[in-house]
Amino acid sequence: MSTASKNLQRFFSQYKILTLLFAIIVIWAFFNHLTNGAFLSARNISNLFRQMAITGMLASGMVFIIIAGEIDLSVGSLLGLLGGLAAILDYTYHLPLPMIFAIVVAAGLFVGGWTGFWVSYFRVPSFIVSLSGFLAFRGILLGITKGVTVPIESPGLVAFGQGYLPEIFGNIIAVAVVLFLVVQTFRNRSSRAHYGLLVAPLWQDVGKLVVTALVVAGFMYTLNSYEGVPVPVLVTLVILAIFTFMANSTVFGRRIYSIGSNLEATRLSGVNVRLIKVAVFVLMGLMCALAGLTTTARLAAGGPSAGTLGELDAIASCYIGGTSSRGGVGTVYGALIGALIMASLDNGMSMLGLDSFWQMIVKGSILLLAVWVDVMSGAGSDR
Amino acid sequence: MSEYLLDMRGIVKDFNGVKALNGIDLKVKAGECVGLCGENGAGKSTLMKVLSAVYPHGTWEGQIFWEGQELKAQTIRETEEAGIVIIHQELMLVPQLSVAENIFMGNEIKLPGGIMNYSAMYKRAEELMRELKLPDVNVALPVFNYGGGHQQLIEIAKALNKKAKLLILDEPTSSLTKTETEILLDIIRDLKKKGVACVMISHKLDEIAAVCDTISVIRDGAHVGTRPMSGMNTNEIITMMVGREIKNLFPREEHPIGEVFFEAKHVTCVDVNNPARKRVDDVSFQLRKGEILGVAGLVGAGRTELAMAIFGCYPGDYQAELWLDGKQIKVDSPRAAVNQGICLVPEDRKRHGIVPLQGVGANITMAVLNKFTKFGVIDASAEMHQIQQSIARMRVKTASPNLPIKGLSGGNQQKAVVSKMLLPNPKVLILDEPTRGVDVGAKYEIYKLMFELVKQGLSIIMISSELPEVLGISDRVLVIGEGQLRGDFVNDGLTQETVMTAALGQAIKQVA
Repeated sequence: MSTASKNLQRFFSQYKILTLLFAIIVIWAFFNHLTNGAFLSARNISNLFRQMAITGMLASGMVFIIIAGEIDLSVGSLLGLLGGLAAILDYTYHLPLPMIFAIVVAAGLFVGGWTGFWVSYFRVPSFIVSLSGFLAFRGILLGITKGVTVPIESPGLVAFGQGYLPEIFGNIIAVAVVLFLVVQTFRNRSSRAHYGLLVAPLWQDVGKLVVTALVVAGFMYTLNSYEGVPVPVLVTLVILAIFTFMANSTVFGRRIYSIGSNLEATRLSGVNVRLIKVAVFVLMGLMCALAGLTTTARLAAGGPSAGTLGELDAIASCYIGGTSSRGGVGTVYGALIGALIMASLDNGMSMLGLDSFWQMIVKGSILLLAVWVDVMSGAGSDR
Repeated sequence: MSEYLLDMRGIVKDFNGVKALNGIDLKVKAGECVGLCGENGAGKSTLMKVLSAVYPHGTWEGQIFWEGQELKAQTIRETEEAGIVIIHQELMLVPQLSVAENIFMGNEIKLPGGIMNYSAMYKRAEELMRELKLPDVNVALPVFNYGGGHQQLIEIAKALNKKAKLLILDEPTSSLTKTETEILLDIIRDLKKKGVACVMISHKLDEIAAVCDTISVIRDGAHVGTRPMSGMNTNEIITMMVGREIKNLFPREEHPIGEVFFEAKHVTCVDVNNPARKRVDDVSFQLRKGEILGVAGLVGAGRTELAMAIFGCYPGDYQAELWLDGKQIKVDSPRAAVNQGICLVPEDRKRHGIVPLQGVGANITMAVLNKFTKFGVIDASAEMHQIQQSIARMRVKTASPNLPIKGLSGGNQQKAVVSKMLLPNPKVLILDEPTRGVDVGAKYEIYKLMFELVKQGLSIIMISSELPEVLGISDRVLVIGEGQLRGDFVNDGLTQETVMTAALGQAIKQVA
């Protein structure tokens, strides 16, 4: 192999995240040029983020499933089922909003646990278990909705999908996040110093913080100049924060990567690997509940076809976002950037008035390209 | 034409500067059976890989003459076409395909258009089965219908179908029962009469004696000698095999040994693929506090399986009655074992030891991560503190604790895995081939650590295939052979010959 291609490989594997951001910039510039600036208008950006939120929620759960070396094909159907359940609880039973949330979330956790249990304890491959869910959950949805769309009435539920965060709250949260990051950075520096570890140069950390602050400010400015931060986007960002923390700083997160990289070695270290796998699927069920509620709220109705192909978008987002198809590697923010790339392609192409078949062809090609890059950058795998 | 069918001269093969073979000669006449003997890791398998072009010509030095011509094969296919067929220790059959399909794999008889000519293949396969005295095998049935012994013979049929002139059998009887072994040895005698030559690699000297005409012994990659089988006795062979000097590589330190506090009784493991066979057959032993118990034996004798049963991770059916501090303990999973104070550093580091993509540090703290947590959240500083202590104690050489462990050398990976298994503060530490693939320096450090640990009252069970290591480190030595306990020796004036003799089947019990 030539040195040039080796260097390229190293670049891709080390700066995966930069490659992805670069891809977004190229895609956005391209559509913005073709739509004469309409693509990057505040209104469209707000719309774009709201579009990616549902896939983003699913991808946030899916990324852990793939890291753990499994797959879940049932999430689109489960999203539809739980969204339909929410609509029925509202329209038919007029339950109060907190109750609807509680029931739907509980159902999501239960179904996730069901899938995980079959995978982990009965050792049925996750591809099969979730394929069965893919069929069965959609069937249950058709049964309980009798195949018709169920409208929703609760204004609170509608706001969960369509509402915006008032500008002032949005700004407060943004400032709080930046302050939190500053405090964390300096605490981290002092704790590293305390243990005699190498501390990065100050300018490097400050530089990172400044860039982060600028990105947050730009994001808030753009969204506020339309209507504010859409609620589903806020939910997705909260998930991003919690899951990233979970992945990096909790035992559970560490174990997920560990079983994906080498299940046997993890088991032989005395870890209950079965329980970890079940928990990963339970988490996926929770994400399906949130995504289902958001979908129903956004459409103001629960329909029998809601969430169709949602699993494939979520899986594609993970792979595009650098999750390894061999397990053990991946990040939540990568998966969300993957979802953003997919949403940008959808949004841009429909603005250009291209038929939806083009969207499918392009997304399919991008997926293939992204995984090829991943395989190339991990070439000569010695696992 | 030369009198030899095969004449290998001065074969040298090196792996990154380590000479696995250092000038080996091997000569085989047509219709002759040569037994190739040597300790584990002596270079037998490497030599056969050179011969069959698994390592192509040019990646090693020396010459191979085949029927008088120099052989410069690049691929296994070329050597097979020449008539050299190797049958590996691990059978290479596809269980779901029929006997005939397996025999003709890659070599199918085809009708025009690539259609399989089943009738021709079945006919030929049946002929081969008759030749191998297996007329009752239905060649149309999937291979999984037949036991390990039959499968081995089906491999041989596959080789004969390729018109093999030289058959290399790598530990052919290691997964066979006694009766199956007898059938196989008969077949080899038959083949010799038909002019097919064999090279048989085996640890079982009685089998070598039964069929081989010549015996060739290698040790540490060097040729020790080739003798006619007649007139040799097993003691002479053993002396040729083990003649290595125990150099001063072992930092033996005196340490007090306490009372018996751990006991394993009636450990029995059933072979996963061949339920008629026991990998471990009713082995019982005791372990004293502060003792290093060496477990010697040949590869495949059942030592690893014994360890797995004690650690609660043997994959098939097994029984093990364990007693710790006078109480019977139940160990049905590695987790239970670790909780009871039994830790295992596994033999296969890549598959069972390391989590390759995770950092060195994360690998070290894996078994005790909960110690550094509050509500499931890891205290990164506390964890890093422990990681640095472990790294310093074991002198793990890594640029950063966050570096994925797969980038480290074998020795450093091993030190990290040992560190991992020390953090739960075990009472019994089982080390399965702790120094395999580890350089001399790291070996020395691992030995040092073992003595440090037993001085602190821990007990170590060390499984090792290197006799000098077993004798240089252990206080007591168990010898396992074909799944059975063949000896339990106090390591006082114990010689390699005694241990090897026990391992090879001449049981001399000398209970401690």
